[in-house]
Amino acid sequence: MNEYWSWWQGALALGALTIFFVFMLGRMLGVSGSWASIMSWREQRLRQKISMAMHANAAAMQDALMAATVAEFGSEKIQLLLGGHGMALPPRTAVQAPATGLRWTAHLTFLLFIAIGGFLAALTSGHLEIRLDLGATHTRLFGTGWQEWLTLLAGGTLVGFGTQMGSGCTSGHGLSGVSRLAPASLAATALFFASAVATSFLVEGLLP
Amino acid sequence: MKLTALQQHVRFALLGLLMGISLSFIGFSSYNEVHKMFLFQDLRLLLTFAGAVAIVMLVLNLFVADLPPTKKIFHPGIVPGSVIFGAGWAITGSCPSTALVQIGEGQLAAVFTAFGIGFGVWLYRQVHRRFFSWDTGSCG
Repeated sequence: MNEYWSWWQGALALGALTIFFVFMLGRMLGVSGSWASIMSWREQRLRQKISMAMHANAAAMQDALMAATVAEFGSEKIQLLLGGHGMALPPRTAVQAPATGLRWTAHLTFLLFIAIGGFLAALTSGHLEIRLDLGATHTRLFGTGWQEWLTLLAGGTLVGFGTQMGSGCTSGHGLSGVSRLAPASLAATALFFASAVATSFLVEGLLP
Repeated sequence: MKLTALQQHVRFALLGLLMGISLSFIGFSSYNEVHKMFLFQDLRLLLTFAGAVAIVMLVLNLFVADLPPTKKIFHPGIVPGSVIFGAGWAITGSCPSTALVQIGEGQLAAVFTAFGIGFGVWLYRQVHRRFFSWDTGSCG
């Protein structure tokens, strides 16, 4: 029992982490969101390229927009709108640089350092041990070697698919959402706990 | 909140470190411990989780004036998605963060879990775009 932190020590650590996250990044903690950001890096790069190109050619962009508007409505109507009497078209306004949110590479740093944190904790507690399974209980339930690894691959796919479909995981819904009493998060957390409990009993009952 | 790229990396690194260390010391990355929680043989992890939620709720609601939006809206994917995730969690003993903690601890089988998670995330994005495309509250 004293191998791990007691419940209140763990609660303090996880609570502090979730609160620090809000203060340091101005958003709620959610690890599955970081996965989503990383897996959409290609899309983000394309989106950034497009907005950079639009920003670089802002003048051409506005001219094209104006030309299209004139082609659609005719120049008389536009002149009329602008006050008639041969007034010149309005001067171009400066286009704002595209706002950059959190980059996918920062999310990647986050996930990498979660692993490094696990390494440091295992190192200091003496639990560091290179092994190719997940311990005795998992081996008893799911076997070893390829049988176990393929189970993990399939199970991991469920985790990835499910957290994206449900828009959150233990941190995003469980810690962040439930503490804010978001209805979707309350439902999601109740459901994934219930589903995990049911699956665990099922696995214990059905498999040798 | 406007942050430079470097600030983003440094802050995410610190928070990731804190998260990895905490989850490992709590035992959230141990299949044994998580499995015992799901079978209700050991309530320590459940209490840990409930305690953390209580602390966050108290601090954020009492002391923080302008909270970031939760962005969690009730869309049709919440129910099936969470049920699927729960099943995966019970089978692998890991949520999207603890697979990485397990790898750091030397439980290298979790590399398969992590690959699975990456594939699952990618797969859902394709499926969502093709078949569902309901509003999930995020524009990602």
